Amino acid sequence: MSALRCENLVKVFGGVEALSGVTLSFPASGIVAIIGPNGAGKTTLLNVVTGFARPDAGSCWLGQSAITGLPPYAIARAGIARTFQDLRLVGALTALENILLAFPRQAGERLFNALTGLGIWRAERENLARASKIIEQVGLGGLGETAAGELSYGQQKLLTIGGCLATDARVLFFDEPVAGVHPEMISQIVDILDKLRDSGRLVIFIEHDIDTVRRVADWVVVMDHGRVVTVGPPTEILAQPEIMELYVV
Amino acid sequence: MLHEFFIYGLIAGSGYALVALGFALIYRTVRFFNFAHGAVYTIGAYLAFVFYVLLGLPLAVAVLLAVPITGLIGVGFEWAVFRPMRARNASSLTLLIASLGLLILGQNVIALIFGNDTQVIHSGVVHEGAMIFGARITTIQETIFVAALVLFGLTAALLRLTRLGVALRAVANDPELARVAGVKDGQVITFAYFLGSCLAAAASVMIALDTNMTPTMGLHALLYGMVAVIVGGAGSLWGAYFGGLLLGVAQNVAVWQISADWQDVVAFVILIVFLLVRPEGLTSLRMRKGGV
Amino acid sequence: MDYIVHVAVLASIFATLAISLDLVIGRTGLLSVAHAAFYGLGAYSTALFSVRLGLPIYAGVLAGLLLAALVSLVVSLPSLRLRDDYFAIATFGFQLIIYNTFNNWTSLTNGALGVFGIPQPTVFGRVFSSRLDFLGVSLATVALAYWIVQRLSSGPHGRVLSAIRESELLALALGKNTLRFKLVVFAVSAALASVAGATYAVYTSYIDPSSFTVMESILVISMVIIGGPGSSRGVILGAVTLVVLPEILRTIGLPSAVSANLRQIIYGSLLVGMMMFRPRGLLGRYSFGR
Repeated sequence: MSALRCENLVKVFGGVEALSGVTLSFPASGIVAIIGPNGAGKTTLLNVVTGFARPDAGSCWLGQSAITGLPPYAIARAGIARTFQDLRLVGALTALENILLAFPRQAGERLFNALTGLGIWRAERENLARASKIIEQVGLGGLGETAAGELSYGQQKLLTIGGCLATDARVLFFDEPVAGVHPEMISQIVDILDKLRDSGRLVIFIEHDIDTVRRVADWVVVMDHGRVVTVGPPTEILAQPEIMELYVV
Repeated sequence: MLHEFFIYGLIAGSGYALVALGFALIYRTVRFFNFAHGAVYTIGAYLAFVFYVLLGLPLAVAVLLAVPITGLIGVGFEWAVFRPMRARNASSLTLLIASLGLLILGQNVIALIFGNDTQVIHSGVVHEGAMIFGARITTIQETIFVAALVLFGLTAALLRLTRLGVALRAVANDPELARVAGVKDGQVITFAYFLGSCLAAAASVMIALDTNMTPTMGLHALLYGMVAVIVGGAGSLWGAYFGGLLLGVAQNVAVWQISADWQDVVAFVILIVFLLVRPEGLTSLRMRKGGV
Repeated sequence: MDYIVHVAVLASIFATLAISLDLVIGRTGLLSVAHAAFYGLGAYSTALFSVRLGLPIYAGVLAGLLLAALVSLVVSLPSLRLRDDYFAIATFGFQLIIYNTFNNWTSLTNGALGVFGIPQPTVFGRVFSSRLDFLGVSLATVALAYWIVQRLSSGPHGRVLSAIRESELLALALGKNTLRFKLVVFAVSAALASVAGATYAVYTSYIDPSSFTVMESILVISMVIIGGPGSSRGVILGAVTLVVLPEILRTIGLPSAVSANLRQIIYGSLLVGMMMFRPRGLLGRYSFGR
């Protein structure tokens, strides 16, 4: 049974069909790469699935529940986490605090608890321990107390992945996780993606870097002009010359 | 009678339309709410006062001096404050606050020089005024209506026919594309501020001649101009013009039924309704919060 | 001495206003120009409940609190889906509507003539009559506002506010219902402003609409921005500075009208200057508008 499913998604922006009937059925776990030229609709798909854009037609399902048209925070709570192409973080908060922010269902976020302090202290201590572990897991050990705004670009990318981990989501949707990052750090990120797959999660990522796709993806989805062109394992897809032409141009 | 209020509405609306026109011209180009436009408006009237009443120049000369000088002062605000802020990537909210500061500064400098009280400029003999469609209106009021129409027409023509005007429309529609096409947006923005501020001065001089002037007249006029722009559609010039007329008429017709005390409330209720129901106004530009 | 206490009371009332507005502007990043309206709602509720209905002070204060919170929802619910500068314009509009209501609903508020004879409050059997008594009350409201804003700006709740301020999309992607947070913060801020209004009403025993205009809102905004958004100490400094300034100008012999203009020239210039060169104000933790 698939974790995530889209049926016939259509999204029109100012007369242009960014998505022209996308139907995809994702496995319950594994790593799926979405590739395609600029303007293919990859980020639009991400936005529609995670609720940041409403589809004009079609539906999305997470397990048995319909998630089409739900507000983004509801979809996040249902178990889909995402990153942003323009690296969104809270620069004024430390790396640890950015992770703490991401934990779901914090009693301290409610007005009454915030004012009275009830139910906060113990939860904060527990969450701090979990957050420190996540900081280590993504390779930012020692940088927990640094303000997120002062981290390097690559470190910030790792932090956004850490944030997604903290949400406990079963589905993680990354927008270009290795873009603009040093080769050594790419390996670090690839390792993290592998570990995420091994922990039983579904990782979907949009990427232009074909090497990374080849290294880590179980499945490749090729998109162009708002449509799914083909789906298959990387060995198959990346061996086809027509597909490669969509990129090397 | 209803038609009287309709006529008065058109005249008041023409005043709002002129302010709105200048405001919209600037907004289209720089995309933030420039509250300093209110200061510029006030300066226009007071400059005319200086030339006409204090220096004794003929009225036409006083107006012909006051308007372009005010235009230059508007440009001065842009060069001294907004341009350097934009170079440092200031958000439209930060620019709004800075413009608010300029408004307060301008109003109070004028109050310091000329006093806080209401002043009057008389255009000479007080005429009886003509009867138009059953409403008695003065020469100045006729002038306001005609001037607004003419200036709107001239501005629209300017934007369509001159090189600078076309460049301004390009920047308004798509600043990135315009820059790529070689349009110097610095020049265009300067022109927008000059023209917009001149329009504001033209409005305030006529309003001052029709009624009176105080250092705080700018804020009030600006608010009405902003309502007109939002109703008509921020960034559309004919939206600003017709939005102004519509606002004037709606307000005066409402006053016909309720007391004049509430006319401000009518205007601002219209503002709220439009912001919530149709923030893009009667013409269209996306104003709601975007997604990613 | 009496005069100094008077200035201290006024400064405390404005400090309460500044701290509560900072919760919205500095901590959450929403520019609201409607603060004076909530200040006025508190003042008028307190005044009218005691003068017209003869009820004890706390009834009016409570009513003012609830009214301000309710009205804040009427303002914020529809307006929060607008882009941030349009949101500011919407709050501008609501401020003007509420001010005009104070000014024109004469049967209720007595319009421009104002409400006279607001009685001195009796708390725990003690009548509050001296200036020092009122200083105590006003300082207590500062402490209350400070405490509430501190609690909401730290820990899990504070982190979400920081996220909303810097990147609302991120907060949404992390499962936070950002609209709810903004509504709550707006309502708390309005309630605190109404408490400041209540304090003002019983202190001066006479209120009229001219204390609750849009210029008053802008004055409080200036205190927040100049003092430093995101820092309660900063905005207190901003409040004290902008209250004490005209008093100093008055003591050096400038006529009242001139000193009023001069004070506005100073804070107008400071607003421009801060936005141009130091968007985090004097002591602020966050640069306004990033």
